[in-house]
Amino acid sequence: MQQEELEQLHPASYAWSLSCCRRDRLEAEEVLQDVYVKILEGKARFDGRSSLKTWLFAVIRRTAASRVRRRVVRDLLLAKWAREQVTAPAPQIDAERSEVAAILLAALQRLARRQREVLELVFYHDLTIEEAAVALNVSIGSARVHYQRGKKQLFAQLDGKLG
Amino acid sequence: MNDDRLRTAFAELREAETAHVPPFQSLWGRRGRRTYARWAFAVVLLVVVAVSIVPLVRRRPVEPSISTWHAPTDFLLQTPGRELLETVPDLKGNTP
Repeated sequence: MQQEELEQLHPASYAWSLSCCRRDRLEAEEVLQDVYVKILEGKARFDGRSSLKTWLFAVIRRTAASRVRRRVVRDLLLAKWAREQVTAPAPQIDAERSEVAAILLAALQRLARRQREVLELVFYHDLTIEEAAVALNVSIGSARVHYQRGKKQLFAQLDGKLG
Repeated sequence: MNDDRLRTAFAELREAETAHVPPFQSLWGRRGRRTYARWAFAVVLLVVVAVSIVPLVRRRPVEPSISTWHAPTDFLLQTPGRELLETVPDLKGNTP
């Protein structure tokens, strides 16, 4: 795996990291940095069983999830004060930049996590459902169900709002 | 609402979000700093541990010389009236 390949995927990786971190930019950068360190140190190795993008997205998702788990433990240990410090940030989208993006983002936040992830991988990152299943470490059948249900709910939410 | 409209909306979201992507090198290049920071932390930790242990080792009490040593049971030898046995009675001095 070449550095250039990772560099080419960097914008998409960052966008996926944002998605895994509930649109917290600082957290997304930290996650992506951790992923790059894992790759450099050989803790995450691409074995060629899937595309590089799918593999990288899976690593990003696992890294983000482990950071969330650590944060939950830390919150429990540090009690209420710490919990208030790490409350989930509001999605950071410049409203004037894209009203459509803001509406879509708000609708996505109301979906179940798996449904949101599958839809983002398919529509945002142009992965197939099969690739999304690999990235999310779920069966293809499960990914299809999440995709169908999520899309149905998203259509219902966006109907009339996006024209 | 259909797939094409949804795809267009996602494209707008992608455009809005990826407008501020941090440079690749800024995240890739941080590895060295993180590694050095870990090593620096480890070194500082070692120094702190060493500094806190050395005085404890040095503060061990000095063993007394055998010539000045007293048995802990010496007090048992201090019997009542022992001072009478340690001195010779002055019989002459007491006679008028």
